[in-house]
Amino acid sequence: MSEGVARHGSIRLIEEACTACMICVRECPAWCIHIASHTVTATDLPPGARDRTRNELDRFDIDWSVCMYCGICVDECPFDALVWAGDHHPGAASIGGLLAGREELRSAGGSS
Amino acid sequence: MSAEAVRVVDAVDWLASLTAARDAGYTWFDDLGCVDEIGRSHHFRIFCALVNWDAGPLGVRFEALVPRDAPLIDSLSALFAGASWCEREAHDFFGVRFTGGDDRHILVHEPGHHPLRKDAVLGARAAIAWPGAEGADSAPGRRRMVPPGVPDPAVWGARAVDDPVPTATEVAQSAVGGRVRRRT
Repeated sequence: MSEGVARHGSIRLIEEACTACMICVRECPAWCIHIASHTVTATDLPPGARDRTRNELDRFDIDWSVCMYCGICVDECPFDALVWAGDHHPGAASIGGLLAGREELRSAGGSS
Repeated sequence: MSAEAVRVVDAVDWLASLTAARDAGYTWFDDLGCVDEIGRSHHFRIFCALVNWDAGPLGVRFEALVPRDAPLIDSLSALFAGASWCEREAHDFFGVRFTGGDDRHILVHEPGHHPLRKDAVLGARAAIAWPGAEGADSAPGRRRMVPPGVPDPAVWGARAVDDPVPTATEVAQSAVGGRVRRRT
């Protein structure tokens, strides 16, 4: 592997950057990303400011049994919340074991 | 390179126009391809881009419309040998026939299946839920999101015996994706 070239293996989710905008889900040609979110009202506003809402992530799954490692989600994310991170998800005894949830994706490839 | 000039010609004048352009200095074959115009008109748009490196360089794009039901146009392979590959792609993916060209298949070996025609739909996906359908931007009053390439089951799917068979245009337009009106 040459330096600085992303290796298409595992993908890490940088949750702080994710806005649950659904762009990765909708751009994914394999339909392997699943997001659930809800809207919360921001409380840390200066006095007199208009109410603001933001999306809070409830669920972020990548189904590695469906993913074809094209990296379109990584390229498309406008918030750089998805990055390539090391080796592939290991094989599993059942197909359900290839579904990676939020916790696993956060820590993919070691902590940043 | 300066912006490409576009010259729209009749399909019958295709070879003559391109020959004249080559003789006028546009000797470098850049690209040849096809666009499905379904929904706008019942045609395929064939385009060919040439470059004149001695003047500018200057680019020109020739375009011609061929009917969707009988897409036939002259091959440029005698003019530019490299055009043959692009014509084989257009033949494979859109079913366009090039008179005097090479119509051996490159990738698609399924007769009658032209995957880049916009009425060629991802039918198997109509039965699966698209994960992008509902998101933070979904609300009862807003238009719903549908995936590109997947036909609306109401148009393309199971229908009553008496219902008319959807036209290619209806199928293509039901599969463009994006935000559509919610069915009530």
